[in-house]
Amino acid sequence: MNAANNTRLIVTKAILWLLFGSATMIAVARFTRGLGATTNLTDATPWGLWIGFDVLSGVALAAGGFVIAATVYIFHLDRYHGLTRAAILTAFLGYVAVVLGLLADLGRPWNIWRMIFYWQPDSPLFEVGWCVMLYLTVLALEFSPVVFEGLGMKKALRIMRHLTLILVIAGIGLSTLHQSSLGTLFLLAEDRMHPLWYSPIQPLLFFVSAVGLGLMMVSTESSVTSWLYKKENEWPQLRALTRAAAIVMSLFLVLRLGDLIVRGTIGRLGEPTWYTALFTVEVLMSVIIPVALFTLPKTRDQRWATVTGAICGVGGLVLYRADVGGISHLGVTGDVYVPALTEIMYSAGLVSAMALLFLFFVERFPVWAEKPALPGHFTPPVADRLTGSYFGGSWFGRSHLAGGAWLAGLVLGLVVLETTTAGGELPIPHPISPSRSVAAVPQEPGSTATSRLELARFDEPGKPASPTDVTTALLIDGDRHGRFVIFDHEGHRARLGGQDSCGRCHHRNLPLDRGTPCATCHRDMYRCSDTFNHELHTTRLGGNSGCVRCHPNPKAAKTRGGSTPCSKCHAAETVTNLAWTPTLCDASSAARDEACGACHAAPRLDDANRAVEHGMAPGYRWVMHRLCIECHCATESEQGRSEPVISRCSACHRGSLDIPETSSAMRVARLELP
Amino acid sequence: MKSMAILTDVTLCIGCEECVAACDATYQTGPDAPFKWQNDPNDLSSTRWTTLAEAPNGRFARLQCRHCLDPACAAACPVGALARTDEGAVAYDPDICMGCRYCLVACPFAMTRYEWSSAAPRVRKCLLCYPKLKAGELQQPACTHACPTGATIFGERDGLLAEAKKRIREKPHVYIDHVWGETEVGGTSVLYISDVDLDAAGWPSRLGDRARPLLARKVLHTVPYTFGGVAALMYGVHWTYERRRKVAAAEGPAPPTDLPEDSSHDTSGETS
Repeated sequence: MNAANNTRLIVTKAILWLLFGSATMIAVARFTRGLGATTNLTDATPWGLWIGFDVLSGVALAAGGFVIAATVYIFHLDRYHGLTRAAILTAFLGYVAVVLGLLADLGRPWNIWRMIFYWQPDSPLFEVGWCVMLYLTVLALEFSPVVFEGLGMKKALRIMRHLTLILVIAGIGLSTLHQSSLGTLFLLAEDRMHPLWYSPIQPLLFFVSAVGLGLMMVSTESSVTSWLYKKENEWPQLRALTRAAAIVMSLFLVLRLGDLIVRGTIGRLGEPTWYTALFTVEVLMSVIIPVALFTLPKTRDQRWATVTGAICGVGGLVLYRADVGGISHLGVTGDVYVPALTEIMYSAGLVSAMALLFLFFVERFPVWAEKPALPGHFTPPVADRLTGSYFGGSWFGRSHLAGGAWLAGLVLGLVVLETTTAGGELPIPHPISPSRSVAAVPQEPGSTATSRLELARFDEPGKPASPTDVTTALLIDGDRHGRFVIFDHEGHRARLGGQDSCGRCHHRNLPLDRGTPCATCHRDMYRCSDTFNHELHTTRLGGNSGCVRCHPNPKAAKTRGGSTPCSKCHAAETVTNLAWTPTLCDASSAARDEACGACHAAPRLDDANRAVEHGMAPGYRWVMHRLCIECHCATESEQGRSEPVISRCSACHRGSLDIPETSSAMRVARLELP
Repeated sequence: MKSMAILTDVTLCIGCEECVAACDATYQTGPDAPFKWQNDPNDLSSTRWTTLAEAPNGRFARLQCRHCLDPACAAACPVGALARTDEGAVAYDPDICMGCRYCLVACPFAMTRYEWSSAAPRVRKCLLCYPKLKAGELQQPACTHACPTGATIFGERDGLLAEAKKRIREKPHVYIDHVWGETEVGGTSVLYISDVDLDAAGWPSRLGDRARPLLARKVLHTVPYTFGGVAALMYGVHWTYERRRKVAAAEGPAPPTDLPEDSSHDTSGETS
């Protein structure tokens, strides 16, 4: 076989390099822009694809290593020896992928070393971390003879031979702990997991499934590489492994269903939900189909059945881990999480990088050595046994192709990053918008309009009829989600007595405080009702010479305590407290409940009264709601109306309406206002 | 120091959000900037460590870290960045934190938040003002200090529990006979009494009284035995097989059982 002409190998490698390239670009973005910019994770879904797939499944796929090591070195089933090195290499690379996936997912990866010194024996993740560190070392040592053999280092090889048994036993012990501790991880997540997946015996389930997964993974990996390198597969061994897998997977299903029955949650399978379907698919893929293919007399000796069953089972168990790790959480948290394209590409690139490393090792080192080379009769490495033409050539055979694919991947990654960022995948903060002055047209009473003011639309011909119809309204951000309050500020001011009336609305004291500076309350979230304008005050009071008007002691800190209270100048505009007089709204409980009860279960008049009695600020909601509603209740009951219009939310909180800064209403408003 | 706690009396809360503002001012959490995916802009966030949830009948229940007596987040933390102090607070040290977000996954109340937009993100949650109390900067948490109606008060947990029960006893027709946080998830240091059900306001009824870390802790304590047991078992099996082989070799030149299959695939690698 001339491997240089192996098209499927070259194409596969090119694709792997491309994916690796895009992941490289995304990794750069991840570390410079943060997790929010590169993932779809939220506070409700803090773990996503990188944990659910990269880490959980990476560890799962590595399970083949310890299963085969136990088979060969402990149970002395030497005929499986040919599979050992590839299985250990897969496990090693699987763990490298886990570490790289984890580093990308950790918010502060530079602190990962602290796990070594800050022991937290109560933390399942602490155990997982230690197992990863130790087992990665063990796997590297277990694999090192292959490298030593390949490089002809006989002495090192001989030393490693003596350590084999210790390493294998340590590896099995660590794997047992580690595979089960991934299940332990989710014992702490019980409040966010679907009952079909949460289980107190999760550690046991994870361990048993890892053994089955390891057995099937060896078959899968062996089949894929045989196809890739057009090499004969070890069918008798694989068949025996699948038989063992069938037993282990049956045990897994019994444990799983038994656990559901014991906990009394088996009934949840009767519910017609997506989760029932997911559970069914998962069980079919991971257990039913593989076990059937591996054991039925018709199929168990068929090669296609061995391959199909193994791939199906691996897929099913990866799905199981992803379900436990995140998918089943969504049903409880109610959050919608779909991995971002960037997340998927990073995961794919990581797997690709590991696949490339795998191919590198099998091409360069005697991974597929048929017989264990014993120290006594050591044979020099023949790294080109399978792919002769590669040896001595450039890395990975075609460096220009690999490099080109990698560069193309970088570009692809950049394109994806730019499009997803521009497309709004980033979590964009939504602060309260400052209130804006707009031109509005008063509506005739009795017209179809839901409120007294409508935004002026100068782009429609014939409207408004004359400029005098236009008034200035204030657009107040209603809820940061595009719903706004259209507030007739000018109208209110005029009706309530001009300049001196500001205090009717713009006033609230802190508890037991008679002169709270406005700026104390009117900051950030209060911005939409902000009335204190420092710049304006400076100008009106004569520039810098006017500072002392408010800050009498220039040396004192510019705080509330050291400043002149607003009420000193604005006494006429300030009322001590809004007097509480029972109005129609309170008198007629029926009308009140009908009006307010739509949204608010019951108005809390007692609390409001208490707030007023104590001379305290009832806060933003009250300032907005109580002031407006109360005043309207009073004025409209005077006018003999039974139900104040303002009590309907829609009277003020208008639907989402995109008003660009450039719209005519905004332009006119700006021209008219000082 | 005694274990300190906060008691929130939902019937006294008027929803003024002074506690929210005080927290913001004390820790300079910055202006609220809700994320696109945040369903309710008033929800807890990395800039809002306490907030008001709407309870039935127009009541408000304050949301904040519940400072569990046996906190799942601290049990989850692999580096000990989150840890319960003797004073009752679950404290956080960002310098140790490695950002795994397991605490967000583990919190039974879902009260922890993360700085998603930062390249060096921190976990954000109520700290019970522990660092500032410890340093003597504050006499009590900023929120309880700011509360104008005394709806949320600070004190020793035992004392507050007694106070809560006293209030319930004095007005049995007003209060529901339950102190939220007394036993839930093993007890919390943030207690609530109320005249309305708090199921939908941060106290889901499924919680139960079991401290979350118990089960995982039990499993983790078996770790050394599991490792030792598996290693011993494996060595035992290995020894048995090895011995059997030696005996077989000594008794006669019996071929290894697996040899026929071994030879059958010797040629397989060389094909194609």
